[in-house]
Amino acid sequence: MSILDDRYRGAPTPSRNRPHGNLTALRVAVLLVFGLLTARLVSMQLVDGATYAKRSRENHIVSTNILPPRGLILGRDGTPLVQNIGVYTASVTPELLPKSQADRHKIYLRLEELVGVPSLEVQSRVQQAEDDGRPDLPIPVQKYLSKEQALMLDEATTGMPGVALTVTPGRNYIGSDAFSHIIGYIGAQTPREYAQLKGEGYQLNEPVGKSGIEGRYESELRGSAGVSQVEQDAQGQLLDVLKTRDPAPGNSLRLAIDPGLQEFVAELLDNSMGEAKIAAAVVLSPRTGEVYALVSLPSYDANIFAQPDQRSSEYNALANDPRKPFLDRALTAEAPGSTFKLITAAAALQEGTITPATGRTVNSTVLEFKGENGVIYPLYDWRAHGFLNLRSAIAWSSNIYFYMASCGIPNEGIKGLGKDFEDSAWKLGAYARAFGLGQPTGIDLDGEMAGVVPSPDQKRKAFAGSQFNENDRDWFYADTCFMGIGQGDVSATPLQIARVTAAVANGGKLLTPRLVKDVTSPDGKILKSMKSESKQVPISAENLAVIRDGMHESVGYGAGLRAQTAGIDIAGKTGTAEFGPVKSDGKRDQHAWFTGFAPFNSPDVVVTVYFDLGVGGDKAAPTASKIFDYFFKNVKP
Amino acid sequence: MTAGYGRQGVWRGWDRFDYLLVTAALCLVGLGLVLIYSGSVRTYSGPVASFDNPVAKQAVFALVGIGLMLLISKLDYHYLTHYAWVLYGVAIVSLLAILAIGHTAYGSTRWFNLGPLQIQPSEFAKLATILTLARFFSEHGGDARELRALVMSLLIVAPMGFLVFIEPDLGTALVFLAIWLGVVAVGGVSRRHLLVVGALAVAVLPFVWTFAVADYQVERISVLVNPDEDPLDAGYTVIQSQIAVGSGQFWGKGLTNGEQTQLRFLKVPTKDFIFSVLAEELGFAGAIGLFALFILLLMRGIRAAQLAGDTAGQLIAVGIVVLILMQTFINIAVNVSLFPVTGIPLPFVSQGGSSLVSLFVSMGIMQSVIMRHRAYRQT
Repeated sequence: MSILDDRYRGAPTPSRNRPHGNLTALRVAVLLVFGLLTARLVSMQLVDGATYAKRSRENHIVSTNILPPRGLILGRDGTPLVQNIGVYTASVTPELLPKSQADRHKIYLRLEELVGVPSLEVQSRVQQAEDDGRPDLPIPVQKYLSKEQALMLDEATTGMPGVALTVTPGRNYIGSDAFSHIIGYIGAQTPREYAQLKGEGYQLNEPVGKSGIEGRYESELRGSAGVSQVEQDAQGQLLDVLKTRDPAPGNSLRLAIDPGLQEFVAELLDNSMGEAKIAAAVVLSPRTGEVYALVSLPSYDANIFAQPDQRSSEYNALANDPRKPFLDRALTAEAPGSTFKLITAAAALQEGTITPATGRTVNSTVLEFKGENGVIYPLYDWRAHGFLNLRSAIAWSSNIYFYMASCGIPNEGIKGLGKDFEDSAWKLGAYARAFGLGQPTGIDLDGEMAGVVPSPDQKRKAFAGSQFNENDRDWFYADTCFMGIGQGDVSATPLQIARVTAAVANGGKLLTPRLVKDVTSPDGKILKSMKSESKQVPISAENLAVIRDGMHESVGYGAGLRAQTAGIDIAGKTGTAEFGPVKSDGKRDQHAWFTGFAPFNSPDVVVTVYFDLGVGGDKAAPTASKIFDYFFKNVKP
Repeated sequence: MTAGYGRQGVWRGWDRFDYLLVTAALCLVGLGLVLIYSGSVRTYSGPVASFDNPVAKQAVFALVGIGLMLLISKLDYHYLTHYAWVLYGVAIVSLLAILAIGHTAYGSTRWFNLGPLQIQPSEFAKLATILTLARFFSEHGGDARELRALVMSLLIVAPMGFLVFIEPDLGTALVFLAIWLGVVAVGGVSRRHLLVVGALAVAVLPFVWTFAVADYQVERISVLVNPDEDPLDAGYTVIQSQIAVGSGQFWGKGLTNGEQTQLRFLKVPTKDFIFSVLAEELGFAGAIGLFALFILLLMRGIRAAQLAGDTAGQLIAVGIVVLILMQTFINIAVNVSLFPVTGIPLPFVSQGGSSLVSLFVSMGIMQSVIMRHRAYRQT
């Protein structure tokens, strides 16, 4: 029957043609197969089902974050100081590029033509991304495109798979350079920032405030991102919009800063520079702590940070400028010189070392003080003042009078603030701290310096290095004396000095200065009004009144005469702080300070002016006078 | 031929026809039609009564298959074993032909295009192999105890398996191997012999892997181990079917409501991945229902082997049971990522005429075995 019949015959067996197979094994096999498959389904559908269900949703539901418009920053009068703009970026997603290298090269060349980024650079960045195993992430190849470039690219992208034009929120700083230190700027997150901000729901492409108000008030300004969820099929085609949550714009901030005053002061300082290279000024309210103007020169254009690539040479010039334009000089500590005598006077009055009537005749610009172990110190005054009481000593800013008030004149039997010169230094330091020196003022800006209130301990630490010897570390009689006139190691920021002045002017309230007046919702409703913290300095009202009198007399006839302004009753204190090494003419460079308030009887404003080079009474005082003048003519307190 | 079974002509033997077996098969086909509908509802929008409508097309094939099944039930299966070698020769020739002129899809050559029909000769070859093995063992001792018979039977299967393997169709080649294994196991193979053959196979495997397994197969296997390695290419199919199956959870998302299926994340949802559609839309419950139908069908098939009047009938039934079991296992194992992606349809359920018609033909042969078991029972 079979074609093999004749060739092959199996051995005959007794079971020929009778079924004898054991089918149990087959039944078991069937049950085993389906048992195995059931076990697998239990694991996938019942145990891990929820996870897979989530992945299924993520598979077809694509969530896109809609970045919120950032809150605005307004001047005291409502003038906007910033503008929200779109930042256009050309990006390339390696995964979406054509596979063939030739096709890719065509796209790179076209990209070079449109936005000016070298094709080789794009090629290597794409290669890098693919090597790193993240071809799905868009690479921003050129940021901050001009409107024209963006438009051209937008039209061209249809023919360039993998290339996209993206828009992210950006800022245009429309105030002048005068506002840069205050407002700060926003920028792309660094990887480290992203790692931290991710937890707060930030997107990688979302800019963050980097410094100034933009940085400090990031949480108010940011708003909350919106979400749009769409359903897509496997080909990425949009099927349905599932839900959209609109982004909530950030809150706006109204600053206490008066834009007109800020610009006026910046321009005024710039014009008054002379030999000086650096200047700062603070205008604030002794009643509320609001800062009307906070100027630091030289300044910079904050928009540079929005175009780091295009404006890198400007950035580099600023970064290498020895004047350090990025530093806010109003928050940078320098030797305060005679402005510190306000504190010395307050301490001496409060400690009872001197009374307002304590007199001293200064008939020579040099007085020999006998210090510890009979060491003789020749201590100088800037002029022979004749007879002084406390008020006229403040008015003329006599050094010798304040040496007497702080470290005493031991060889004449006049005691200083404490039982010895070290104790005097500690006492004076305590008062300086009570007036807010040696610590940040707490203004709503980052990067504020604390300044230095010297003490024997501080000196020991400051000169601990091996390049110093034991003599450098020891606290001497003269250290207390120099501290009493704001020299030696004393340093304070213009803002701290303004704050001290405000405390003297307002009867002892030490206010925390602040830049933001109130936070408003996007539709203009005030959400919260900022209030300054204040604490009382430990000086009696009578003693403060004496100091105010001295300041009044300073502008009336003394060292601060040039601060006089027609129609405004100003009180103030000059400062001329020596710093640096002795020059060939035997003198040292001097910082010029003036700090004052007006009107004398009911102070509305404190003005503090600082120049890195100059004499307080000649340079800072007349500058302050013009600021007072502008303030009372143009700014409503 | 007792008095109780004395009917003559066309009515003879129908009382022994296994209606439960056919019911299980028809339920699977019905379930398949529902799933094909769900898997194609978003892509097909033409008229219902059209050969382009996958549901209608499948229904037509089912009717053709049922007709053939009824015809073949009436046919004494010994006619088929009688011509087994001829069928075998035709199968070999058609498998050779397909390598020369067949239609290539998804990197594999498995079909003939015959107008609107795509004919897959490997389906026919599987049946031809079963019949040839049955013929061989029924003539030569009726068992596989002898090593020579075992080797001869392997030589019957090997050319088929090889030709399918180089198409390449690893899955179907494995089905051939399983059929042979099932038949010789029931045919009484000596364990010692099987061990020798198994050891030889293990020794040859590395060479097969190196020289014969296509790159895409290697990739599919490695992707199975770590699907996230290449999520958008080879791993895509694996991940998407995993998500579909897993996200179905207990009750499923409801027919035509599975996002994985409907939004085309699943490739070939009416064919190789129809089980994923079932698992996604009808859930664990639906899958267990499907398993129950298959277990019923296969157990009835084993019953047919038990009842079979002679060795040929028994081995035919065993071969068909193993064929369906193996295809079902491989197909579902692919869907649940226990096996690399390979194009094996789910018997009775997946869309595909060749497979469905040949399965109904095999059902017909099985019925023929059942209906004639008394006639050939030897005492």
